[in-house]
Amino acid sequence: MASVTLPQTFEAPATPTTLRLARREQLMIGAHIIAALIALMFGIFMGPFQTFHRSPTFVQYFPTIPIFTFYYQAVTAHGVMNALFFTTFFIIGFSYFVTERTLQRPIKSAAMGWAAFVAMAVGLGMMLFVLLTMPQQSAVLYTFYPPTIAPAMFYIGLVLLALGSWLASANIFLTYRDWKREHPNERVPLAVFALIVNFIVWCVATIGVAIEIVFMLLPASLGILKVTDPQLARTLFWFFGHPLVYFWLLPAYVSWYTMLPRQAGGKLFSEPLARVAFIMFVVFSVPVGVHHQFSDPGISASSKGVQTLLTLIVSIPSFMTAFNVGAALENAARNRGAKTLFDWPFKQKWNDPVVAAQLSGMLLFIAGGFSGLINASAQLNATIHNTSWVPAHFHQTLGGAVTLTYIGILYWLLPAIRGRALFSKKMALAQVFTWLIGMTLFGLAMGEAGLQGVPRRALTSQSPYLSPAGAFWLDVTAVSGIILLISSILLYANIIGTLFFSRRPMPEGEVPIETVSGDRTSPLWFERWGIWLGLLGILLLIAYGPVIAEVLDFQLGWNILRYMPTSNAPMP
Amino acid sequence: MEINKLERYWLIAVGITLGAFVAATIVAVTVFGIRLPAPVERIDPQRLDQTIFAKPGVRKIADNRYEAVIVAKSWAFDAGPEAGTPAVLRFPRGSQVTFYVTSKDVMHGFQIEKHTLNLELVPGQVARASTTFNRPGTYHIICNHYCGAGHQVMYGVIIVE
Ligand code: HEM
Ligand SMILES: [Cu+2]
Ligand SMILES: [Cu+2]
Repeated sequence: MASVTLPQTFEAPATPTTLRLARREQLMIGAHIIAALIALMFGIFMGPFQTFHRSPTFVQYFPTIPIFTFYYQAVTAHGVMNALFFTTFFIIGFSYFVTERTLQRPIKSAAMGWAAFVAMAVGLGMMLFVLLTMPQQSAVLYTFYPPTIAPAMFYIGLVLLALGSWLASANIFLTYRDWKREHPNERVPLAVFALIVNFIVWCVATIGVAIEIVFMLLPASLGILKVTDPQLARTLFWFFGHPLVYFWLLPAYVSWYTMLPRQAGGKLFSEPLARVAFIMFVVFSVPVGVHHQFSDPGISASSKGVQTLLTLIVSIPSFMTAFNVGAALENAARNRGAKTLFDWPFKQKWNDPVVAAQLSGMLLFIAGGFSGLINASAQLNATIHNTSWVPAHFHQTLGGAVTLTYIGILYWLLPAIRGRALFSKKMALAQVFTWLIGMTLFGLAMGEAGLQGVPRRALTSQSPYLSPAGAFWLDVTAVSGIILLISSILLYANIIGTLFFSRRPMPEGEVPIETVSGDRTSPLWFERWGIWLGLLGILLLIAYGPVIAEVLDFQLGWNILRYMPTSNAPMP
Repeated sequence: MEINKLERYWLIAVGITLGAFVAATIVAVTVFGIRLPAPVERIDPQRLDQTIFAKPGVRKIADNRYEAVIVAKSWAFDAGPEAGTPAVLRFPRGSQVTFYVTSKDVMHGFQIEKHTLNLELVPGQVARASTTFNRPGTYHIICNHYCGAGHQVMYGVIIVE
């Protein structure tokens, strides 16, 4: 972004409560957000074309759909860029901003912050390079299960992303520790409490995938290892893969709990219970990964049962959030004159893109939460596992609630970073509502297709086994893809407009974050993180100990290194 | 720390809902006998010729009971020469079939349309599951786990007569 000339006014250091950014913040946070938007750009524009490619009718009328030639390259880029790079960059940039403004101090070490950023940016560059130049070899999808092995650069890109994210986590932990030393008897404001939870979850979860990449996949891709155990690799991946979704979700919760009430004109209902909910995430969000492996042969039914139970428990904090945030929104509507039992959802600031985006995300999240409970029910899972029901579910949650909330944040944070007003509020509103409509239809159509047995991650327009009903719902998905393509174009037009063409100065405003703790009743020991980590450790032993033993097949001795070709995905 | 009355009701309702899910799961296992895949055996995918997978195919083991041994490979299900490619398996109505499936190369999936049977085929692991074919018709076996460039054309057919 070298060509962006920064307005002079921003040389002045910012006071903690105005939204105006100091030059230092502008660079650091801006760099992360811009990198996130570059990753998202590569990911998001693939999505609609995937829906076109999967639709038999669409392919019949437009046999050559441009953008990419190899379908699975597109799915890989879409998953890796959206789910891994966009989210991580965005979350870290946003977390720096929230931490600095809430604790009213800069992050511990700017040098460490930049080192982390450079590592992740180099990782992003390597990943884009390998995805674009080696479409066939690197088409291992964002779950990269062996024995299909990608070029080493794919894994090095991921390792750099993880390294950077660990440095960033350390930076935030250290900033918090400094604050805590100066305020020994205070409760840290909720926003930072939640971020600490989030980075703890992240650091624990990434251990699994780091072991998988560093000891199994990377050596295999370099030709050092000739064997790898796919069942163990999958288990390590999902040890990471499920908490990953909470890593995406909790920053959205930070916005819902500590910013949205004010943005919507109301007050948070219960801060102490919000803390209880976040603590439950520390303890319960990791030992549940096996619910992605209900259909795996190498894990016993009883281990699967234990993690099903834990999965149901980890839905509790989300139900608590629904109540708490819902009550805050009702309060906001009452302040604006809502009277009856059912008019408060309508009396919201639906004409403010920042609020509308988050509310729309919540609407999608209601559907996503319930489709998720269905996924988590082991037996129901057998009907929908690996069908397009699954992408339907996580586009309601990740593509809906999380992405829309991030977009809502972007609509105030990007102007603050750039120092200019949002290019067009109308365009932002149009973007939000087309996204809501598009994702609602997408979820419905992909979900129905899944119930008809249409698999996910497949170029279904070529599938000989497609049923008429399955084909119909794939065609409907393509219609939702058109709506979402329009929405994505509106999003990027506004981003580019704000960065380069907006002439109006940013309106003066306050940081929307609740920077003081209104909480006087929750016990101080809520911040004794050792307790929660200890509980997590015990649960991990109970939930994952047997799983690892089964996967490694201890009864027959340690036979992890039995087999494996280190080959690329077979090609015609 | 106090908890608001309404919120307490809400949490109780959530507890009941989740309890219902747990109960449904238990009923599904005990009453309907729905089982999740569990470890059967580990084998070396490069030496399938020394295992039951040396001769894939369907075997009748009792009245209305069959065993089907199938090898998944890129990009076909091999159920023996009789079944052909794509594999076509025929069962009389009411048959209870136990499938033994493994993968010879990369990850594959094994899903039978309109039946609750959905297996991940992990190289090195034997996957096993049973189902009963009560309604006559044609049902596809679909590879639902990405397995390379030909993933979308990997399938088999089950005909219930
Ligand atoms: C423009 C809107 C979008 C559309 C039309 C879209 C469409 C799709 C489609 C059709 C698939 C399934 C491909 C297949 O199974 O063959 C998919 C997968 C996926 N999408 Fe999206 N998507 C969109 C936005 C997003 C966003 C914003 C995210 C996350 C931030 C996201 C994350 C994912 C992930 C993680 C997958 C799974 C990839 C895989 O199975 O390997 N998508 N998307
Ligand atoms: Cu396959
Ligand atoms: Cu496949």
